[in-house]
Amino acid sequence: MAGVQPIVLDVEHPIGTYVNIYEARALDPRIASMRRKGGAVTAILLYLLEKGIIDSVIVARKKKGLKGEAFLAKTPEEVLQAAGSKWSIVPYTLGLKEKLLSPDVRKTAFVGLPCQAQFLRQMKMFPLMESDFSRKIYLIISLFCMGTFAVESFLNYMHRSYRLQPEDIVNIEVVKDKLLIIHRSGELEIDISEALPYLQHGCLTCPDYTGVFADISAGRSPESDYTVLITRNKLADKIVKDAAGEGYIELHEASVKTMDAILEKGREKVFRSYKYLSAVL
Amino acid sequence: MAQEEKPDILVYDLGGCEGCPLSILRVYPQLSRIANVYSRCLGPVDLNREYDYAVITGPICLNSVEHVENLKKIRKKSKIVIAYGSCASVGGIILYARGGQEPRPEHRIYAPISRVVKVDYSIPGCPPAPQMLISLINCIKRGKGYFLDLFRAVSYFPKLSGFDLMDEVVLNGLCVGCGACILSCPTNALQMIENRPDLIPEKCIRCGTCTVRCPRFSQLLIRRSKLFEKSRLLTSFER
Ligand code: SF4
Ligand code: SF4
Ligand code: SF4
Repeated sequence: MAGVQPIVLDVEHPIGTYVNIYEARALDPRIASMRRKGGAVTAILLYLLEKGIIDSVIVARKKKGLKGEAFLAKTPEEVLQAAGSKWSIVPYTLGLKEKLLSPDVRKTAFVGLPCQAQFLRQMKMFPLMESDFSRKIYLIISLFCMGTFAVESFLNYMHRSYRLQPEDIVNIEVVKDKLLIIHRSGELEIDISEALPYLQHGCLTCPDYTGVFADISAGRSPESDYTVLITRNKLADKIVKDAAGEGYIELHEASVKTMDAILEKGREKVFRSYKYLSAVL
Repeated sequence: MAQEEKPDILVYDLGGCEGCPLSILRVYPQLSRIANVYSRCLGPVDLNREYDYAVITGPICLNSVEHVENLKKIRKKSKIVIAYGSCASVGGIILYARGGQEPRPEHRIYAPISRVVKVDYSIPGCPPAPQMLISLINCIKRGKGYFLDLFRAVSYFPKLSGFDLMDEVVLNGLCVGCGACILSCPTNALQMIENRPDLIPEKCIRCGTCTVRCPRFSQLLIRRSKLFEKSRLLTSFER
């Protein structure tokens, strides 16, 4: 069963408990044509949907400015379309409840941030309300997260320093210690430390880099163009292996170097949270 | 699974709207598979014997000597006391009771049971969904985990509601806009405005659900409870 293992998160276990850590890459030509790195999450979602294991996927889609909204994808085309505008700059809430409550969602995969994985897991394990829609969520996928932006002030900064308009920003990715801002007329790379003051304050106390409450945690590999996949229970591990078996993804165990890099990031975030949390206690 | 001795569970209702006892009643079949259940629904209960778990529902009326005595007795005789549901754990809607109503106009102060006895785990929820109790007991048996820490932490806070969520998280600048609170509120007392929840005070039934679902607040609660535990050790304070 998902999520029965004890969940601990401290400096010794900065990425929580897991079954396996892989590096994976989409083999699907539909994803390769999008020129996105890795793409394993999208490929796994396609696998689940096309094999009829789930009936829908809930992901974030970019809205105006930097805001995200919940997007319900019910066909492979919609999943691909959503992957094209994947958005994890801020946790998305807009429309989430409606999507989850909608009657044609019965078995869905949720893709979100570690904080969202946490409450969905809690909902699943410890339902506090009859109406908790936990049963509908078949799989929780969490994307690695070092923090999300206080939208207004970050946009303001981008505009002031780089003359970038909010509408022009297509995506923002964290690549190693750089923030890669993809905009309409090109790419801009800035140092993460430069963007740090524009993170949401609450994120500074968040200890969870990978999303320890998810079934699968995923993020870009710091060492290669692959997606790192952390499977946290048997079901999740089976899904990843089956997706590979069916030719959706290419899979191998993560290298020691990759694991180290992720552990390091995880530790960094745990320490950061200790520091800031002691200030607000 | 290997046959192990089933623990004895006392389910005891102190009052309230019956929502919590009903929620537990619905899992009796599953519950009896993992424990020996003792409850007034299954026959007379004996408060003079020992139990492994006592699951208490409803608030404690501080004006009722009999109830207070019973509660203290249960605490003494039980290894683990669980405050089940919002009224027993964090106050809930009964906090608004002012007395003066028939037939018991003398009763005015309804409090979470942790104001009277030491509680081991507090579960908000108005009422918690039936599956909750099974998950919790399995989790206690396993003995570890973030959520277990959380429900333990809640036992130190006899008051948690949307008001605290606003004060401690949102107005404190800790909210990340994840939406957990909004998705958890049974009365829609919280609404997202500009990526931050806002409370409609009249709608909040003080059930506390939002506070334990909030990743920021739950983290604060756990940390604070650990500090309490430490200071308690220092002063060996016992209620
Ligand atoms: S840093 Fe934590 S709280 Fe902030 S968005 Fe990421 S997972 Fe959520
Ligand atoms: S805001 Fe909603 S969830 Fe929070 S305590 Fe009030 S009624 Fe309960
Ligand atoms: S659950 Fe907490 S962090 Fe998330 S939106 Fe509500 S108050 Fe903000």
